Amino acid sequence: MKTSVRLVLVVCLLAASCLAAPIPESSTAGEELDHAENVSGHYGGQLTIGERAEPKTLNPVIATDAVSREVIGRMNADLIDINHASQQTEPALAKSWKKSPDGRTFTLELRKGIRFSDGYPFDADDVVFSFALYMDPQIDSPQRDLLIIDGKPLTVAKLSPYTVRFTLPGPYAAAERLFDGLPMLPKHLLEKPYREGKFDQAWSLNAVPNEIAGLGPFRLKQYVPGQRVVLERNPYYWRADRDNHRLPYLDELVFLFVGTEDAQVMRFEAGETDMISRLSSENYNLLSRERSRTSAQLADMGSSLEYNFLFFNQNDLSGKKLDEIARKQKWFGDLKFRQAVSAAIDRDSIVRLVYGTRGAPLWGNVGPGNKLWMDNAIPHPQASVDQARQILKSAGYSWNQAGQLLDSSGAPVEFSIITSSSNTQRMKMATLVQDDLSHLGMQVHVVPLEFRATIDRVFQSFDYEAAVMGLGGGDADPNPEMNVWTSSGTTHLWHLGETQPATAWEKEIDQLMQQQMVTLDYAKRKRLYDRVQELIAQNLPFIFLATPNILTAADSRVGNFHPAILDPYTLWNADELYIRTPGKNAGAP
Amino acid sequence: MRLKTFLLLAALVALHLILLFAGFVAPYDPAAQDRELPYAPPTGLHFKDASGWHLRPFIYAQTIAPDGYVENTSRSFPIHLFVRASSYRVMGIIQTNWHLFGVAGPARITLFGTDGFGRDEFSRVLYGGQVSVAAGVAATLIALLVGSTFGMLAGFFGDWADESLMGTTELFLCLPWLYFLLGMRAFLPLQVSALKTFFLVTCVIGLIGWARPARLVRGVVLSARSRNYVLAARGFGASNFYLLRRHILPELSGILLTQATVLVPRYIAAEVTLSFFGLGVSEPIASWGNMLSTLQQYSVLVSYAWMLAPMGALVITSVIYSLLADTLHSQLKFHSS
Amino acid sequence: MNYLGRRLVRAILLLVGVSALCFAFTEMAPGSFFDEMRLNPQISPATITSLEEHYGLNQPLFVRYERWMQAAAHGDFGYSIAYNTPVAPLLWSRAKNTLLLTIVAMLLAWLISVPLGVWAAAQHGRMLDKMTGVTSSLFLAVPEVVFAVALLAIVVRWRILPFGGMKSADFDGLSTWARFWDVAGHMLLPVLILALADGTIIFRHVRASVLEALEAPFVRASRSFGISRTRLLFRHVLPVAAGPAISLFGFSLAGLISGSLLVEVVCGWPGLGPLILDATLSRDFYLVIGGLIFSALFMIVGNLIADIMLVVADPRIRAGVPDAP
Repeated sequence: MKTSVRLVLVVCLLAASCLAAPIPESSTAGEELDHAENVSGHYGGQLTIGERAEPKTLNPVIATDAVSREVIGRMNADLIDINHASQQTEPALAKSWKKSPDGRTFTLELRKGIRFSDGYPFDADDVVFSFALYMDPQIDSPQRDLLIIDGKPLTVAKLSPYTVRFTLPGPYAAAERLFDGLPMLPKHLLEKPYREGKFDQAWSLNAVPNEIAGLGPFRLKQYVPGQRVVLERNPYYWRADRDNHRLPYLDELVFLFVGTEDAQVMRFEAGETDMISRLSSENYNLLSRERSRTSAQLADMGSSLEYNFLFFNQNDLSGKKLDEIARKQKWFGDLKFRQAVSAAIDRDSIVRLVYGTRGAPLWGNVGPGNKLWMDNAIPHPQASVDQARQILKSAGYSWNQAGQLLDSSGAPVEFSIITSSSNTQRMKMATLVQDDLSHLGMQVHVVPLEFRATIDRVFQSFDYEAAVMGLGGGDADPNPEMNVWTSSGTTHLWHLGETQPATAWEKEIDQLMQQQMVTLDYAKRKRLYDRVQELIAQNLPFIFLATPNILTAADSRVGNFHPAILDPYTLWNADELYIRTPGKNAGAP
Repeated sequence: MRLKTFLLLAALVALHLILLFAGFVAPYDPAAQDRELPYAPPTGLHFKDASGWHLRPFIYAQTIAPDGYVENTSRSFPIHLFVRASSYRVMGIIQTNWHLFGVAGPARITLFGTDGFGRDEFSRVLYGGQVSVAAGVAATLIALLVGSTFGMLAGFFGDWADESLMGTTELFLCLPWLYFLLGMRAFLPLQVSALKTFFLVTCVIGLIGWARPARLVRGVVLSARSRNYVLAARGFGASNFYLLRRHILPELSGILLTQATVLVPRYIAAEVTLSFFGLGVSEPIASWGNMLSTLQQYSVLVSYAWMLAPMGALVITSVIYSLLADTLHSQLKFHSS
Repeated sequence: MNYLGRRLVRAILLLVGVSALCFAFTEMAPGSFFDEMRLNPQISPATITSLEEHYGLNQPLFVRYERWMQAAAHGDFGYSIAYNTPVAPLLWSRAKNTLLLTIVAMLLAWLISVPLGVWAAAQHGRMLDKMTGVTSSLFLAVPEVVFAVALLAIVVRWRILPFGGMKSADFDGLSTWARFWDVAGHMLLPVLILALADGTIIFRHVRASVLEALEAPFVRASRSFGISRTRLLFRHVLPVAAGPAISLFGFSLAGLISGSLLVEVVCGWPGLGPLILDATLSRDFYLVIGGLIFSALFMIVGNLIADIMLVVADPRIRAGVPDAP
C-alpha cells in the first residue's frame, strides 16, 4: 500500500475528475496521526445538512456569522480542541503541550508529517503565520480580543519546525481553551494576499477550491450561489479510527441553504436533508409525533448553556434626554423591586409554554447544563405573588383602588420590556412575564423590535426600560463570561461603561472574576465562581428565566451521531459521522 | 337583485356589530391566559350524556394529557346565555360584565380552541377584528383617496404633472420601506398606546400603499379624457372641475372598488410585517395580523388546525366586502346609464 | 425624441432619488452590520469601531453618498460587507434565478387570469362568474406566506413534488431533458404561489374593467345595431378595458425583481429574496442599495413599456402630451 505522494496526487486528481470523492490517502511513514480508539464506521456516502442562511465567507480570520463558522469549522482544525462531549481540552494539531508552573508559557509539540488538504506539509511556520493574522490590528479579526490579556497580546515563537511556544502576558486559567476555534492556516496560500493587503478578499465564496486548503476533515469542492456548499473528504486528514482507517468516513458533506427554521424541518421531513443541528421544542415535538413517517433519530441533550433573562436599564443616563427612563430607574435600581419581580415570575410555566417542557427554569447564570461550574447552593424559590407583594409593601410600594401598583411617591408603576421580534421564544417569555407582573399591579408593555434595533437600544442609545435577552452557549468555562460580570465588561448589559463598580457587590464580583481568571486550580476557581453566582442571584442584575434544551435530529442512517450541548451541536464530530447504508441516499448518484 | 343586496348589507352590518360588541359576544378577556390550557382544541358541544339527551348544550372541562387533551366527562358544564363574567367596556365607554354566553368555572368554553398561552381564540378573533378590520379599511381609504387624487391629476393634466407625479409613485414603489419602518420606530417613543398604534398602522400602510392605485387611476383617466364625449364636453367649454366630476370620476368607480376589495385583506395581513419591525399591535392585544403571524410557523399550522380561525374570519370578511363591491359597482352603472 | 428624452430624464432623476433616499433611510435605521458582534462577550467595542472604520461606516452620510455616486457612475455599486465581494456580480448570480421564477409566474398569471376575467365578465351574474368571484376573494384573503407554508406542508406530507430549492443534489449528473424537468418540478410550487397571488388581482381588475366597458353607452348602442357579441368584445370592448390591465402589466414587469422576495425565502429559492432579506436585516447596506437600484431599473422599463402599450391600445391617448386647449 505504500505509494509516493505524487502518485497519490495523480490518483486524487483522476478521482476528482470523475466526480468521485478523493480516496483517503494511506498513512505515510513519520506521519503522526491521531488515533481515535473508540471510533468505527465505514467509508462512503454524503451527508446533507440544512442551514438557515448561506455562509458569507470561507475566511476563518474574518468570518463573523454562525453559518460561515459552521462550514469553516469543518474545513479547518485548531491546535488544541475542546471535546464537545466531555467539555475538556484534548490534543488536536498539537499532539501534546506543556504548561509552565506559573501558567504563562505553553510549549506545544505539533504533529509531524501531517499535511494540508492540498497536500502541502504543515509546520510551526504556519502556526506563527496564523497567529500573526489573528493578531494583526489591520485585519480586526473577531478572535483578536481573545488573545489580548490585560491589554497585552500573547506572543508566539517557533522553537523548532514542530515546536512552538506561546507566552501569555499574565497568568490565565484554562488558557489552553483559547486555542479552540483558532484554525491553523496555510502560509503557502495566504501569505501572498496578506502581503498585498488583500487578505480580507481572500477565501471569499468565489474562491477556486484549489486556492483554499485547511487541516479539517473536509475541503471545498463546490459552491453554488444561494444553494449549497459541497465539501469533500480531505484525503490528508490527520485523524484515523481504531482500525487505522483515515477519517473522515463521509465522501461529501453538503450544506444546503434553506432559509428558515421551518424550512429546515420540512426539508428534513421530506428526506432532503439528513440532520438539523438545532431545533425548537415545537418542531422537535412535531418530529417526534411524526416519527413513524420520518425515521429520524431525535436527541434531547438536556439543558444548554444559553441563559435567557429579564433585566432593567440601570445605565448612567446623565447627558441623555431620557428623563422618563431616568425617573423609572428609581425602581429599577431598587433591589427589593427586582426581588419582587423575580418572585412573581412563574418560571415553570415559562418552561412549559415556551419550551414545551424541553428546557429548565433558571435562577442563576449557570444552568444545569454546565455541571462543572453550576453552584448547587443557589436557592430555587417557587413563584409567589403573595411574597412579591410583601416585598413591595416593605419597600414602600402601595396599591390604588384599581389594583395598580404605586411607588412611594404615588406614581403608578408602568414600564415596557423590549425584545427581538425574530426570536419567538423570547417574545413568548416577555408576554408571560408581562402577565405575571400584571398580578402585582404593574402595567407592563411588551415592545417587540427588530433584532439590530434592540441591540442598538441596549448597547448604544440606552433608550429602553427593560429587556428580555439571552446570552451564553459558547463554552462552559467562566472566562468567556468575564465581560458580562465585571463592571467594566463590554456585555455588562444592565450598566455599560462603568468606570468603577457602581455597587459593593459589583466590586466584589470584579475581584472574584479577576481572581478566578488567574487561578489555575479547578477547586479554588469553582469556589470563587460559586461566590460570583451567589452574588448575582442575590442582587439580580439579571432576572434569569429559563434555558432551552439542545434538541437535534438526524436521519436514522447517520452513524456516530453524538450531539453535544456546545455549539456546533451536531457537526463537532463530522469526521466521525458515517452513513449506515451507503448508496441509499437519495441524492447520491 | 334587491334581495341580494339587502342580504349582503345585512351580513356586513352583522359582522361589524359583532366586532363592535366583541366584549359582549366574547366569553373571555382576550388577554387572559390559562397556562394549563396551551393549544387546547375547540371544546366540543354536547347534547347527550349518560342520563340522556339535553336541550341545553353542555361542555366538559379539558385537561392536558401526554398526547393531547382529554375531556373529563365526570362533570358537565351547561352553557348559559347572558352571564356575568370578566368586565369590559362597550366601545370604550360603558363598563359592564354581561356576556352573551359562558360556562361556570373551572371549565372554559373555547369555541375556536386556545393559543399557545391558553387564551381563548374565539374571543381573540372578535377583539382582533375590531383593530384589524378598522385599520384595514381605513388604510385602504387613505391609500385610495391619496392615490386617486394624484392619479387623476396626473392623468388629467398630463405633461409635467404626469411626469412628476408618476415619477413620485415610482420612487415610492422603489424605496426600502423596511428601513423607513426601522427608522420610524427609532423616532417613536418606546411605549406607543393602542390607539396611537392604530393610527400609526393605518397611516404607514396608506402612505406606503397609495402609489399603486395612483398609477391604475392615472391609466384609466388618460384613456377617459380622450374619449369623444369628454372632448366634446370640453369643446362646449366645460371646466376641468366639471369634467373631472361629471365624466372622469364615474369611470373610476370600477377600478377603485376593485382595488378596495384587493387592498383590504392585504392591508390587514400587512400588519404582520409591521409587527416584526415593532410598529404593529403588540402583545397581549389581539389583532388578526399578529394572530396570522403565528400561523406562519409550520409546527403551528400542521398541529393546531383551529389556529386558522383568524384566517377564516379574514376570508369571510373579504368575501363579504368583495361581493358588496361587485353589487355596488353594478348598481352604480345601472343608475348612471 | 422629446418624449423619450423626458422619460430618460425622469429615469435618471428616479435613480438619483432612490439612491439618495436609500442612504437617508439606511442612516435612519438603527443598528449596524457589526452589531451582532456586540453580543459576543469576547469581542471588544474597540474592534467593532475599528471594523466600522475599515468599511467606512462611520463616515458622514454625505461623504458616503458622494463616494458611492462616484463609484456607481463607473458601474461599481459598492462592496458587500458580509460577503467581502463587489455587489453587482453577487446580485446577478441570484437575479438570474429570480427572473426565471418571476417570468414564468408572470406569464402563467396573465395567460390564465386575462381570459378568465374576460370570460367571467361576459358571463356576468351567472354561475361561473359567481364561483370565480368568491374563489378569488378567498385567495385574496390568504396571506402569501401562510399560503406558501400550507402548500409546502402538503408537499412534505404527500411527497408529490421535490421540495424547496431549485435543483436536486444530483442535478449535475442529469441529462438536459432530466435537468429541465428537475428545475420545473422545483419551480412549480413557488410559481403557483406567485401566479395565484398576482393572477387574482389581475383577474379582478380585468373582469371589472371589461364589465364596465360592456355597460358603456357606445357598446349598448352598437349591440342594438346588431354587431356580433364576439366582434364587439374583441374590437371595441377590450381596447377600452385594457387601461387598468396595462398599468397592472407595468407592475408585473416592475415586480420581476422584487415581487417574489418572501415566497423565495419560504420556498428556499436561490434568488434575490433570501439574499436581500438577509442583507436588509443585517444592514449590509450596499448590497441592499444595489438590489434596489436593480429593481428600480426594472420599474423604469416596466412603466415605460406600460405607457407605450397604453398609447398602442388606445391611439387617442397621447400619454403625457398636453391637450390642446
